[in-house]
Amino acid sequence: MNPPNGQPLLQVRDLQKFFPIRKGFWRRTVGYVRAVDGVSFDIYEGETLGLVGESGCGKTTTARCILRAIEPTRGQILFRTETGGSADMLQLSPSELRGLRRDMQMIFQDPFTSLNPRMSLLDIVGEPLLVHGMQNRREREARVAELLRLVGLRPEYMRRFPHAFSGGERQRIGIARALALHPRLVIADEPVSALDVSVQAQILNLLFDLQAALRLTYLFVAHDLSVVKHISNRVAVMYVGRMAELAMTEDLFTSPKHPYTAALLSAVPEPDPRLRSQRMVLQGEVANPAAPPSGCYFHPRCPYAIEICRTETPSWQEVTPGHLVSCHRAHDLQLNGVNRPNGATPNEGRRDPPVPDASGT
Amino acid sequence: MVASQKPLLSVRNLKTYFPQDEGTVKAVDGASFDLFHGRTLGIVGESGCGKSITARSILRLIDRPGRIVDGEILLRRRKPPEGGGAEEVTDLTRLDPNGQDMRAIRGAEIALVFQEPMSSFSPVHTVGEQISEAIRLHQHVSRRQGRAKAIEMLRLVGVPLPEQRVDQLSNQLSGGLRQRAMIAMALSCHPTLLIADEPTTALDVTTQAQILDLMRRLQGEYGMAIMLITHDLGVIAEMTDTVVVMYLGRVVEQASVDEIFYNPQHPYTQALLRSIPRIHSNARERLASISGAVPHPYNRPPGCPFHPRCAAFMPGVCDRQEPQLRATGAQHLVSCFLYSGVKTPTTDAHR
Repeated sequence: MNPPNGQPLLQVRDLQKFFPIRKGFWRRTVGYVRAVDGVSFDIYEGETLGLVGESGCGKTTTARCILRAIEPTRGQILFRTETGGSADMLQLSPSELRGLRRDMQMIFQDPFTSLNPRMSLLDIVGEPLLVHGMQNRREREARVAELLRLVGLRPEYMRRFPHAFSGGERQRIGIARALALHPRLVIADEPVSALDVSVQAQILNLLFDLQAALRLTYLFVAHDLSVVKHISNRVAVMYVGRMAELAMTEDLFTSPKHPYTAALLSAVPEPDPRLRSQRMVLQGEVANPAAPPSGCYFHPRCPYAIEICRTETPSWQEVTPGHLVSCHRAHDLQLNGVNRPNGATPNEGRRDPPVPDASGT
Repeated sequence: MVASQKPLLSVRNLKTYFPQDEGTVKAVDGASFDLFHGRTLGIVGESGCGKSITARSILRLIDRPGRIVDGEILLRRRKPPEGGGAEEVTDLTRLDPNGQDMRAIRGAEIALVFQEPMSSFSPVHTVGEQISEAIRLHQHVSRRQGRAKAIEMLRLVGVPLPEQRVDQLSNQLSGGLRQRAMIAMALSCHPTLLIADEPTTALDVTTQAQILDLMRRLQGEYGMAIMLITHDLGVIAEMTDTVVVMYLGRVVEQASVDEIFYNPQHPYTQALLRSIPRIHSNARERLASISGAVPHPYNRPPGCPFHPRCAAFMPGVCDRQEPQLRATGAQHLVSCFLYSGVKTPTTDAHR
């Protein structure tokens, strides 16, 4: 697989978001939580970029800054408009932003709280249409029916309310809502982590199919590396507000260049009892974004740290084509990634081909 | 690890039902399995399968209107030396859940680690107070001794600077440290059985690796049995010796961990293994999903609960009767008509 070329759909440059910590009666600002601390990356049209990291790494905050659901402290978010020009989202006026909002939508994690329980499916999926000018009710109903069919739900359900549906079905409703305005970029924030395992696969396959059919670009935020591997063309890893590594999926998983990525990969429990190998168990706790260590944020836990790691922040640089890392030792470390195991994989070739999904996706 | 020949805990045909206005929820409907010293049993299943209720039934923590309607839970108890050192077997279903006997067992012989450490600790007591409370409930020690023991337990589970942490509230600890503190509390009376209900689900993957490592190490040192409840097949593969697969309250398959992963026989187990994302897969590989969703407990399908989603569904058989657990190999049990010799519906299939 080659790194993407051509113009990116979205360019994030030196994004920062600090949350003030206020204490005392007068609510004085005593410090900042550096939730996003200088993040830069591109997303290319038609690709899925996975954004992974553990809790507190800033991935969700990054996603919300891109949508301007929260206001970044600093940085640039350049979105390529339909006409080919580049708009800095952070410089736009509210009315200009409104137009761009149609182009980017979000799918949320929790299917149980992301849908208003007092709104029917028609109301929920039709709301974006109404907000953006589709006043005609019949037109809206037709479009909602089309969207429900697209995500594998029966249009007859549009008068029902969210409580009548399972977690997986609710997530489909959320997806239908996100697609209502023909967005170009869809940000999916942990879209499958609240679902049962057997349903996760359905929703991931649905996202795959929709991407092909509608030429969507995804930013897929998740903490589960196995899930991210199945859906992403490229993967970015964040640690305490900063980018650690970004590469093509296969490259990141087989030849990681950042020690944190290697540790993350090694920590994932593999569903294969014959692969209980030695793993790299990290010591210590995730760094505190309100009081991060000096230099490289990861250095206190890094088995390869040297003096410069304590004093200087590593720069974000391309070490091989399409593979970016922020590590002082990126050129001399040989890290273990994930290899394909030799011999039989569990369940391989034992059974008949999978049953086609009855939901129509 | 030498496994004791006799099981430490035997669950036989456990049935825990919840009578509600809308109908009776058969949360656990006939589960049977054994736990041995020094070995780990995994119970895996999705929401509504009954795995957590099984754990709570063992500890007699089922709230009304739920109750154990059938079955036995046989615990081989250790007797204090003055009783002659002999073991005795107690059926926990026959004990009063609030009685002295059960309370002596709960926390001391069988301990439970919960999924959400935040909601399991009291927010107004320090971690040390809670651990030493657990100790002093079961042993005659002074407050000072209890605190000293709490510090020792925190150190044992890898909490740095335990002398400081012991006086902190649970919300001052990170998720990983809270879970370690919970494990410290569970182990403070050296139980013979540790039940861990989704102990790492709420944790980051690197923290999860640490906690699983810790549990394995402590099992090696203390020889306790572990019953590990999770939906994560990766954790099952890593940690367990035998596996029980549950679906909507019933055990559908039961075997060694190697057999479950390399020779799964129940269509649900097979479908589950095919549908999970794996780190060794190719990038952007499509997953084989299972159609449909886990039915609502009030809408139990007739016959085998999995039949509406089953690739091998046999009309007239699977939707008429419930299959029973049968041995298909040494130590391998499956509950499925594919293995019970019933191939075609017969006129006397109506029961």
